[in-house]
Amino acid sequence: MNNFKAAVSAQKKSFISLFIFAMLTGAMIIGQAYLLVAVIDGVFLKGQTFNEILPLLGGLLFVLFARVLFSYLSGRKGIRMGSKVKSDYRRALLNKYTQDPIQSSLRGQSGKKVSVIMEAVDEVDSYFSQYLPQVIQSAIIPLLILIVIFTSHANTGFIMLITTPFIPIFMIIIGMQTKKKSEEQLEKLGKFSGRFLDTLQGLVTLKLFGRARKQKDVIEESSLNFREATMEILKIAFTNSFMLELISMLSIGIIALEVALQLILFDGITFFTAFFVLILAPEFYTSLKELGNAFHNGRSSMGAVEKITEELKETDVTVEWGDSTLGTEKTPPEIIVQEVSFSYGENQFALENIHAEISPFSQLAIVGPSGSGKTTLMHVIAGLTAPSSGKMIINGNPLNHYQEEQWFNELSYISQHPYIFSGTIAENIAIGGGSEASQKEIEEAAEEAGIAGLIESLKQGYETPVGEAGRGLSGGERQRLALARAFLKRPSIILFDEPTTGLDLYTERILQASIKKLSQHATVITVAHRLHTIKNADQILFLEKGKVLGTGTHEQLINSVSKYREMVAVQQGGMAR
Amino acid sequence: MKDLAIVTKLMLKEKRDIFYSIIAGFIAGIAAVGLFAASGYLISKAALAPPLYALIILTSTVKLLGFTRALTRYAERYFSHRATFTILSNLRVSFFEKLEPLTPGIFQKYRSGDLLSRIVGDVESLQNFFLRVFYPPIVLMMVFLSTILFTLYFSIYTAIVLLIGLVLIAFVVPVLFAMKQRKINSQVREERGRLSTEATELLYGFRDLKIYQKLRGKEQELLETSKSYISEQEKEEITIAFSKSVNTFISLFITWVVLGIGAYLVATGQMAGIFLAMFVMIAITVFEDAAAMAVFPIYLNDSKRAANRLFSVVRGDEDSEVESGNWKEFPDDKILSIEMDNVSFTFPNEWRKTLEDITVEFPAGSKTAIVGPSGSGKSTLLQLLMKMYPADVGDIRIGDFSISDVSQESLWSVSNVVLQENHFFYGTIRDNLQLAGDELTDGEMEEVLLKVKLDDFSLADPVFEKGENLSGGEKQRLAIARTMLKDESYWFLDEPTSSVDALTEQSIYRHLFEQAKDDTLVLVSHRLTGLERMDQIIVMDQGRIMESGTFEELMQQEGYFYEMKEIEKDLF
Repeated sequence: MNNFKAAVSAQKKSFISLFIFAMLTGAMIIGQAYLLVAVIDGVFLKGQTFNEILPLLGGLLFVLFARVLFSYLSGRKGIRMGSKVKSDYRRALLNKYTQDPIQSSLRGQSGKKVSVIMEAVDEVDSYFSQYLPQVIQSAIIPLLILIVIFTSHANTGFIMLITTPFIPIFMIIIGMQTKKKSEEQLEKLGKFSGRFLDTLQGLVTLKLFGRARKQKDVIEESSLNFREATMEILKIAFTNSFMLELISMLSIGIIALEVALQLILFDGITFFTAFFVLILAPEFYTSLKELGNAFHNGRSSMGAVEKITEELKETDVTVEWGDSTLGTEKTPPEIIVQEVSFSYGENQFALENIHAEISPFSQLAIVGPSGSGKTTLMHVIAGLTAPSSGKMIINGNPLNHYQEEQWFNELSYISQHPYIFSGTIAENIAIGGGSEASQKEIEEAAEEAGIAGLIESLKQGYETPVGEAGRGLSGGERQRLALARAFLKRPSIILFDEPTTGLDLYTERILQASIKKLSQHATVITVAHRLHTIKNADQILFLEKGKVLGTGTHEQLINSVSKYREMVAVQQGGMAR
Repeated sequence: MKDLAIVTKLMLKEKRDIFYSIIAGFIAGIAAVGLFAASGYLISKAALAPPLYALIILTSTVKLLGFTRALTRYAERYFSHRATFTILSNLRVSFFEKLEPLTPGIFQKYRSGDLLSRIVGDVESLQNFFLRVFYPPIVLMMVFLSTILFTLYFSIYTAIVLLIGLVLIAFVVPVLFAMKQRKINSQVREERGRLSTEATELLYGFRDLKIYQKLRGKEQELLETSKSYISEQEKEEITIAFSKSVNTFISLFITWVVLGIGAYLVATGQMAGIFLAMFVMIAITVFEDAAAMAVFPIYLNDSKRAANRLFSVVRGDEDSEVESGNWKEFPDDKILSIEMDNVSFTFPNEWRKTLEDITVEFPAGSKTAIVGPSGSGKSTLLQLLMKMYPADVGDIRIGDFSISDVSQESLWSVSNVVLQENHFFYGTIRDNLQLAGDELTDGEMEEVLLKVKLDDFSLADPVFEKGENLSGGEKQRLAIARTMLKDESYWFLDEPTSSVDALTEQSIYRHLFEQAKDDTLVLVSHRLTGLERMDQIIVMDQGRIMESGTFEELMQQEGYFYEMKEIEKDLF
C-alpha cells in the first residue's frame, strides 16, 4: 500500500490542476443554469422581446463551450496520470521478476505473471484516469452548487444536505464488497489465462490422448465461470448505481414538490429561483452519482493494485551481491561448496549438506540418478539460487562478496535445453559476448562450435531468424549454438548440464572437443551421464536424493561405492543383458 | 468485415438477452425523457398557479418515471453484460475449435505467448462489439425517433432541430471521427501483443538471460515496449475523450438552439411559454445518452481489428489437415503393417528438405529402431507415420489404407506416443497420468510409476506448468508411464529415454518391450545400445536412409552404422 500512496502523492501538481479544472467546470455549470433560466424566465413570464434576451443567449453559448473544454482538460490530465502510474508499476514488477532467484521463476505459472504485468497493470489505469478526477470533481462541484442553492433558496439546500449522506453510505457498504469480489475476479482471470496458455501449449499432447475435444468443454466452463465471477461484481456495481439513481430521483422529486408548493401556496419564491434550483439539483446528484460509478472502477482498480503489491511483496531469499572484485588474472577462482543445503519448500526435494572443493582448472563431474538434485546444485554453484544454509566460497570469500556482473562474466552455463531467443542466429550467439561482439568474432565462435557450416548453408546465413525456444533448429544445433555463445565468452567457469543428452554423434564429438578446448582456460563442472566425461573428471560427486554418497575419482568410487559400481556396469554393458 | 460477421453470428446466438437489453434500454431512455419533460412542465405550470391536484398528478408521474428509469437501466445493464460475457465464451470456444485441427502445424508459425495475448486480449476487447457497437445505436434511434414524434405534436421547428441534432451526433460526427481514427490507426492491440510476447519470453528464458546478463537489457526492452504501449493507450484514450467532448458540445449546442428558437417563438407569441422549459429539458436529456455515439467508430474499428487478428491466426492454414469427412473405418482389433513409399517432405518455410525418397516397411508386430544424427529426419519420419504432417510426395499405407483416408483421431486413438518434448499440465501427477484414461485406478497408476522408477512420487504430488519442477529424465519417464497406461497396439517413441540414465533406461525398456510384445513399435533412438533385439534398424542421415537391417547385418556390413557404433564405443 505504501508504494501506492507514494504513487498518488508523487502527482501533486496534477492534483492542483485537477482542482482548478473542477472549480472552473463547477462555475460553468452554475452559469449555464443561471443563463438558461434567465432566458426562459425572460420570455415566459417577464414578456421580454427576443432582442432583449440575445446577450443572455450569447453568454450561454460561451459558458457551454467553456464547460466542455474544462471537463475535457480534466479528463486528459487524469489519463496522463494513469499512464505514468502504469509505467511505474510495470517497471517495479519487471524489476522484481528479473531480480528473483531462479526457483521463484519456476514456481507458479508464467501465464499468471504475464497476466499481472498486462491486465492487472492496465486495470490500475481507471483509478487515475477516471476515479481520481471524478472524486475531485465530485468534491468541488456539489459544494459550489450547494453554496449557490443555499444563497438562493435555503430549503432546497437543507433537503440536499439531508439526502446526500445516503450516497456515501451506500458507496462505502457496496464498495467494500466490490473490493473483495474484484480481487477474486482478478485471481480467476490469472488462473484463466495461465490455464489457457497451458492448454494451447499442450494441445499436441491433448490431441494424442484424444482429449482436445474435451478441453473445449473445459475452456467453455472456465469461460463461463469467469463470466459468473465478473457478473457478480457487475451486479453489485449495477445495484450500486440503481440505488444512487433512486436516491437522487427521490430527492429531486422532493425538491420539485417543495419548490412547487412554495411557488403556489406560499408565494415564497419566484419562478426564476424555483427553476434555477430545479435545474441545478440534477447536476448536484449527477456528479455525486458519477462518483458512485467511478467508485466501482476505482475499487476494482484498488483490487488490482493490491494484487500487484502482493506480487511485489512476495519475497524469496535473493542472492545477494557485494562489490569486491574477483582477481582479473587468467586463473579461474577456487570454488568451495561449503555445507550447502537447499529445499524447494516443505515436502519438496532438497540438497543436504553438500560439500565440495573445486580447484582452478579442475573438472568436477556431478553424477547420480535423475532427480537426485544435480541441477539444483548447479543452480547454487552458478549463484542463481541462494542456499538455505551453507555457503559458496570463492577464492576464500563468500560468493556474495563479489560483484554480480563480474561473477557472471566468468561463467557459462550450457543447459540441456539452451533457450534460443527470437532474433537472428548472429544475435543469439552474440548474447554470449560481454559487449558488442564483431561479426568476425561471432563467426569464429560458430566455427569452433561446429555450427558455422550449417549457418553458412542457410540462405540468410547468420541473419536467419530463429523463433521462440529455437524452432527450426534441432537439439544438437541448439546445443552447438549454446557452445558458440561460450566460445564467444571465454569464461573461466563452465557449467554443463547433462551436455550429451539426446544428441547426435557429431554434436557429441563437437561437445567433447569443445569442453576440452574450453577447459584449457576454465574450471568445468559437469552434470554427466557419460562414462567418458566421468572418467576424465578430477573429482566426482555422486549424488542420490540430494545427498552425497561418495566423492573421489572414478577408480576410488568404483572401489568404495557399490551403487556407483552398479551404475557404471550398466553403462558399460549397455542395455544388453 | 468478414471476421466481424463471424463474431456477429456468434453473438446472435444470444438472441434473448439481446432482445431484453434493447427493450430495457428503450424504456429507460424514454422514461428519462418523460421524467425531465414532466418536471419542466411541472415547474412552469406551478408558476401559473394551477389547481393542486394537477400538481400532485404531475409529481407522482415524475416519481413513477424516475423509478421506472432506475429499474430498467439496471435490467439493461444486467442483460447486456450477461450477453456480452456469454458471447465472449462462445468466441473463445469457437477460436479453440478452429485452432485445434490446425495443431501441431500452427505452432511452427505462431509463438505461444502471442497466441495467448491474441486469444485473451483480443477476445476481451471484442466485448465492446456488442456493448458499444451493436445495440446502443438501436436503442438510441428508438428513443430519439419517439421523442421527435412527441415534439412534432407541439412544435415542428423543435422537432426539426432535434432531427438535425440526431443526424449530426449519430452520423456526421462518428463518420468524421472514424476517418480521423483511421489516420491515427491506433496500434494499441499490436503493442499489447508485442509486450505480452516479450514478457512471456523473459519469463521462460530467465536462466539464460540471467547468466548472459541480458536480463537488464531485456527489461529495458520490455519497458520500452511498455512505454510505447502505454502511449498508444493514452493516444486512444485522449481521442475518445476528445470525441466525447465534441459530441457533448454539439448536444449542448442543439439544446441551445432549441432554447433560442423556442424563446423566439414565445417572444413573438407563436408558442405557449409553458412548453419552453419542457423542450429545453427534453433536449438536454435526449442527448445525454447520445454522447456514447462519439466513441462508436473507435470501438467499431477496435472490434474489427481484434476480430481480424483473432481469426487470421486460424485462417489460411486449411492445408494442415484436409477434412475429407468420409474417413475409412480403421480396425482397432487387428495390427496392420505400415509402409512408406518414396516419401519426401519439407516443412513450410524450412530451408532444407527434411525427408527425401523414403521407402521402408514396418511389418505388423515388428520392432524398428530409427537411428542417425541430430537433424537427420528421424523424428519427422516418425511424425509422418503418425500423420502429424502430410507427405509432400509419396504414399504412406497402413495395411490397405492410404494414410490420407484415415483420420488423425482414429490413428492416434490406437497409438502410444512419446514425443521428444512432452507436455505436462499444471496440476498433479495423477491429473497428468489420467490423460490416458479416466477409468484408471490409483493402483494401476502407481504400478506404472514403479515400472518407470518414479515410485518416489506420489500421485498427489504437484506438477508445475510445462512440468518445470521435474527434471528432464523425470518428465520422460512420466511420459512413458502415461503412454504405457494407454496401452494401444502401435508404439511411436521419439527418443523417449534420452535424459534417463542407462540403468533406469534398461529397466524401463524391459517393461516396455514386455508390454509391446505383439505390437508394432517404432523407436527413434539416440543411443546405439540395446538395438540387438530390434527386428530392423534404419540408419538415417540428412533426410535419407543410409542403410537398414538387423543389428548383426549392419555390424557385418561395416558401413555407416558400424562406424557410429565404433565412435560410441570410444566415448564410453
